[in-house]
Amino acid sequence: MPPLRSGLEGRIFKMAKFIIKRLLYSVLILFFVMFLIYVLMYNMPTSFVETKARELASRPGATKTYTEWLADLNAQYGMDKGVVQGYFVWLSSAVRGNWGDSWQWTIPVLDKFNDTVWYSFALGLVSFIFEVIIAIPLGITAAKKQYSFTDYFTTVVAMISISLPTFFLATLLKYVFAVKLGWVDLTGMQGRDYQFLSTFGKFLDLAKHFALPAVTLTIIGIGSLMRYTRTNMLEVLNSDYIRTARAKGVPEKKVIGKHAFRNTLIPLVTMLGGMLPGLFSGALITETLFGIRGIGYASYYSMTQADIPFIMFYLAFISVLTLLGNLISDLLYAAVDPRVRLS
Amino acid sequence: MASYNLNEILKAKAGLTGNQVAVGLDDVARVKVLSPGRQVFKRFIRNRLAVFGSILLIIMFVFSFIGPIFYHCGQKEIFYKYDSQNINYALAKEITSYTGYSLSSDISVPRSISTSVNSVAKSLIEADEDLAVITSDDGAFLLRRVNDDVFMLAQMSGSKVASVGEGSTLIGTYDMIGGTISFTGQEIEGLVDALTKNFNRTGGSFTYEGVRYSYEKDVAKSYNIYSEMDGVVVFDSSLPESFSDAFEKAADNKAYSFTVGGKTFCLEKTPMGYDAYLVSGNEKNASVYTRLTFNVISSDVKVSDSLKANALLHINDGKTFDVDGTSYKITETDGLLILKDGNDNEVAELSSFSVRRYTGEDSIEYDLKKEIEEFVITMSETGATSEKLVYNLPYQDENGLYVYDEEGNLQYSEAELTITQRYTGEYVINCDQVIYVIDMFATSSKEHILGTDGDGFDVLARIMYGGRVSLMVGFVVVFLEIFIGVIMGGLAGYYGGWVDNLIMRLVDIFYCLPSLPIMIILGATMDSLRMDTYVRLVIMMATLGFLGWASVARMVRGQILSLREQEFMTAAEATGIRVRKRIFRHLIPNVMPQLIVIATMGMGSVILTESTLSFLGLGVKHPLATWGTIINSVSSATAMAHYQHIWIPVGLLICLTVIAFNFVGDGLRDAYDPKSKR
Repeated sequence: MPPLRSGLEGRIFKMAKFIIKRLLYSVLILFFVMFLIYVLMYNMPTSFVETKARELASRPGATKTYTEWLADLNAQYGMDKGVVQGYFVWLSSAVRGNWGDSWQWTIPVLDKFNDTVWYSFALGLVSFIFEVIIAIPLGITAAKKQYSFTDYFTTVVAMISISLPTFFLATLLKYVFAVKLGWVDLTGMQGRDYQFLSTFGKFLDLAKHFALPAVTLTIIGIGSLMRYTRTNMLEVLNSDYIRTARAKGVPEKKVIGKHAFRNTLIPLVTMLGGMLPGLFSGALITETLFGIRGIGYASYYSMTQADIPFIMFYLAFISVLTLLGNLISDLLYAAVDPRVRLS
Repeated sequence: MASYNLNEILKAKAGLTGNQVAVGLDDVARVKVLSPGRQVFKRFIRNRLAVFGSILLIIMFVFSFIGPIFYHCGQKEIFYKYDSQNINYALAKEITSYTGYSLSSDISVPRSISTSVNSVAKSLIEADEDLAVITSDDGAFLLRRVNDDVFMLAQMSGSKVASVGEGSTLIGTYDMIGGTISFTGQEIEGLVDALTKNFNRTGGSFTYEGVRYSYEKDVAKSYNIYSEMDGVVVFDSSLPESFSDAFEKAADNKAYSFTVGGKTFCLEKTPMGYDAYLVSGNEKNASVYTRLTFNVISSDVKVSDSLKANALLHINDGKTFDVDGTSYKITETDGLLILKDGNDNEVAELSSFSVRRYTGEDSIEYDLKKEIEEFVITMSETGATSEKLVYNLPYQDENGLYVYDEEGNLQYSEAELTITQRYTGEYVINCDQVIYVIDMFATSSKEHILGTDGDGFDVLARIMYGGRVSLMVGFVVVFLEIFIGVIMGGLAGYYGGWVDNLIMRLVDIFYCLPSLPIMIILGATMDSLRMDTYVRLVIMMATLGFLGWASVARMVRGQILSLREQEFMTAAEATGIRVRKRIFRHLIPNVMPQLIVIATMGMGSVILTESTLSFLGLGVKHPLATWGTIINSVSSATAMAHYQHIWIPVGLLICLTVIAFNFVGDGLRDAYDPKSKR
């Protein structure tokens, strides 16, 4: 027993070291990614920014004047300083959680984020669950019966799913279900009588409006997961231990269900774990086309309106999510597969 | 191990053919070996999906690169058509405002006068009076009613002769220290002297030139001066005694004019009462105001403004008058005022009912005008708000051109006119006319196989050219990605060490950059700069390529890392081949299969990104066509519902192209490396 224990302890120690190393590395990458994004914002044509600031100041109920908006921007984003110096000005305030006021939404960036992100998360989670439920069994079935009709069908479906432009699928779904059948509203998140509904009614109303976007995201996302599952399952099925199991006369059901599937889970869990942070990132196109006021929708309008505070926040947020996804999938890989050496 | 006896096989073969044939050893042992390239090809065409994809791609390329050559419509060609549309043809109304025609070039009527003619004329008619005076700072004018339709505006020579009224008005302030008066209105000469002559510090009053003035202290050393009115003040001493009474009486009656001793006076309202002006009879006629319009009867006579003015002068007297060497006169027959020339030809009718083309021009022929007028009269009698009448209008062929016969006369055809009363009291006349319009949303026809879109572009041509741009964008971007990726990945893989470290960190950073948001921001920025669409296209391609090289570099590096340990590289090193040659002649060609696969797959994803951006209106812009912009042009809710014959085929086309690229890419990967997946 003692040797095993110490082996486990050693592994945990190695794991912790690995995590810390990866974390520091991610922070470093984030630093440079944010610098690139900052450079992009810094070089945004002043005329564009100034026009937008002027528009903002002339809006009804504007809280700040044109010069105040620009002064705020300069103060917080260091736009009047050199690129490097300005970057550190921005970074120091961003690290302290001060992200400023959104131009487009005229409320603090973090408030807007808090208002929107949960809608995006709900949408992402629902479609994620459906993707997993549909794609993984299909992928495994296709791999089990390689070159069969099911296999070809799955391959073609996966290919279509990967190749469908989101906007086309969304428009098509809207056309069929909103225009032709009239089952759902064309855009928007709430029905007309939303305010008068009971809590449960409100939930149903929201669910109805989230249906089409969720379907869109599911269809778009299914393809790659299905292919990934199939490829990995095939790899496992062609491996020696499966042949050994079959040679030993293990029932096919057990071969697939126990030996093969469990081993396929390693890359799958790794991939799915990596996808988790992405659930918060919002679906830019889908949300915009369906009028779901999630973070993707908010950021799309911010981007077209040169809302620098919100864009900077959103891009930083997305980058963090991407890095987090990579980190999680690396860690899961290391944690799930005991063969992986941590070095 | 299967036993393999050559002799036995030879024997069997000989027995089978029945002849003794000399067989060389090498003939039997020879195994048919395909070249690697042909092997890949064989494996590729065995994959049905890949073949399907290739065929699809070939069709797509032929369609978008060769198709436009044989198709007659251009990418940016806007198509027009002649269409019969129900237009607002004419507008009929009773004229209620007066238009002025100048009679004398010497006198110009000030704006302040001419703007008030209308209201004064109407109030004169209402009060059934004939004379009124209109004054402003620019002088006094006399408006004389000739009849209800014609008014004469003349410049008066004299100024006011008397005033009547009660009350006081502030006319200025007196500054005691400076001894000056600052007047609020017109300055009165000599008033300072009259004031200072018997000045009282507490205030008081005095008379100057027949008018009473009072003053009172306002602030220290400053006095307000009022002009006091109580009864009639006569400025002209030559007026008879009875004038004052008559004036007062007229003022009480709110009359516009009165006569005393053979002289006529006009009244004008002032804040306190009235002013009286003498009508001397030698006023100079400035212009004539009328609400009559000249409906020209014979179209070969031009009715000039001077003819109009002269005709209006003689509207009542029936006399003959000359204008530009021709004599005219006005006669009244059947209640119509007709302007006739010396030969008794009817030139024009003077009427207060106007019928004009809807654009305002007076080009409707007289008969139609009369017809419409009759209809309007019956409509107002019966209370109908809409009537139809049939009339011969100039005939238009299907190209909207007027048709002439051999003698050059216009051809006419019957047209149905609809007269509708508007709530403003005007009558609008509608009829069908052939006009030249942009051929929008046409359904498919022989000329436009898929119809036209909302801008009058031919949809099929747009789709062809759109495919061209979309595919081209794909090629350029993928080439850029591969170019940068191969160089970076090659360097990193070959050199390793810190070069590898640096480049791979860069790859990590670029992996992390969110490319779609960046492209959207870039697109919005270029929007605000109003950049040319071709410049945008180039910038977009460059940016997409620059953001996409990371995955290529990572793949190339991985391949090279394993390749450089192989024997052929050791041999290459041993023979002393230069480093550059070693990388680009020996390593990169070995990565070629993977590069081709990654490029094919990349084409699909670039086309997707480009079409998404163009769909959002942030990529390639109108009028340049891409598949994304075509869908964007009909993406609004109403267009989406009605013009699905435009966006569904284009969407499917995008989808099919991307699928084809992916199928081919998949097929190539399997063909190059059959072990990689199966």
